[in-house]
Amino acid sequence: MLLDEVIDKAFDYRGNVTVVKTDGSETVGYLFNRNRDAAAPFVQMFDLDGAGPISIPYSDIRTIRFTGRDAAAGNSYAAWLRAKEAKAAQHPEKGSDPTPSRGA
Amino acid sequence: MSVPLSQMWAVASYVLRQKLAGRERYPLVLMLEPLFRCNLACAGCGKIQYPAQILRKHLTVEQCLAAVDECGAPVVSIPGGEPLMYPHIGPLVKALVARRKYVYLCTNAILLKEKLEAGLFEPSKYFSLSIHLDGLQEAHDEAVCRDGVYVDAVEGIKAALSRGFRVTTNSTLFDGANALRMREFFDTMMDLGVEGMMISPGYSYSKAPDQEHFLRTQRAHDLFSTLLSNPKRRWKFNQSPLFLQFLMGKRDFECTPWGNPTYNVFGWQRPCYLLQEGYAATFRELMETTRWENYGRRSGNEKCRDCMVHCGYEPSAVHHTFASWRGFRDTVQATVTGRY
Ligand code: SF4
Ligand code: SF4
Repeated sequence: MLLDEVIDKAFDYRGNVTVVKTDGSETVGYLFNRNRDAAAPFVQMFDLDGAGPISIPYSDIRTIRFTGRDAAAGNSYAAWLRAKEAKAAQHPEKGSDPTPSRGA
Repeated sequence: MSVPLSQMWAVASYVLRQKLAGRERYPLVLMLEPLFRCNLACAGCGKIQYPAQILRKHLTVEQCLAAVDECGAPVVSIPGGEPLMYPHIGPLVKALVARRKYVYLCTNAILLKEKLEAGLFEPSKYFSLSIHLDGLQEAHDEAVCRDGVYVDAVEGIKAALSRGFRVTTNSTLFDGANALRMREFFDTMMDLGVEGMMISPGYSYSKAPDQEHFLRTQRAHDLFSTLLSNPKRRWKFNQSPLFLQFLMGKRDFECTPWGNPTYNVFGWQRPCYLLQEGYAATFRELMETTRWENYGRRSGNEKCRDCMVHCGYEPSAVHHTFASWRGFRDTVQATVTGRY
């Protein structure tokens, strides 16, 4: 996988990651932003204590490891739909009332 | 008509000022998310799934006010997470009211009665409690995945109304929702005495063939048509009547995601309240560097194709009201007659 793709996956990931830099050092935390369009593309993170934002240029990144639990796992709209459909099949009189993404 | 005249005038004069200044893109409602923490875990909620250190974070009041000043929108909506869990919510609301911003605090109301009894807020024409209710007891408790929340929310509404607060409701409607039960819900909310209701379809995204997208949009129009046809005179909606007509399939708008910009602990969210495609450090950077042409239903973006949510399309409806005499006339007509 290309570095750009790894960064995109880390950006979409709802868990902590470990960014391994070209100098061998590592930064662990939540990668909340990436900007490919900037003159010098970069990612931004909050570390495990919530401190940040820490900016790291793409050019300093060797790879990213997905080291934390994915907080969204099993919580997706698709997972919710599957659970609802299974329930509706057990209790057909209740019907299906799927819940897509919401904000508040 | 449920939005007070002073608020209508504030929004109308703001929009006219933007038009006179020749601004093509301008914000109407700032979505200010001071934290992502919540005391519920509703299925499908896209706002609370973060590692612990992110859920512990929140904005300072100074950061919130700086965002409000930078953005300049006349209305500030405070969703979350659960804003009543934000430790500085009282001072934040007070400071926003002092700035004469119309504030909607969007809460699941579990903590509302307790906070009101503690004297956290003062009633003001600038301040509305917007209670998240997705239907009557069974439907709501199921949607939020916890029994008893509907009863708590109704208790909170009563406590707020008895203290003189403005109270509205906000409901997300899903594919398969029961329109007739929702009409009963509208009656119940009006009986309780809420000022107005807000409704919006939920957001869903899937990679699907064209025909499936078309059917999904059609189903949403059918749902809202059943819901809103022959509306009772006593039902009051705290939103643009043209947006309601859009939901019923009587009008077509394009998304204007900059109309409801979102600010949270990560910065200014691109491009909208729902999608997270990245963050800008300043409001100006958000407006100037977001590739707006990549969003909205006509852009061909898969993520936008089924979207009809209020944060993208309600500002479009408000913009339309002031874009021509016809838009203005249609809005006044629907507001006065209560027919959509
Ligand atoms: S109350 Fe709102 S923020 Fe909290 S889990 Fe439910 S939808 Fe998400
Ligand atoms: S169409 Fe919906 S998802 Fe797309 S930018 Fe507009 S509000 Fe966001």
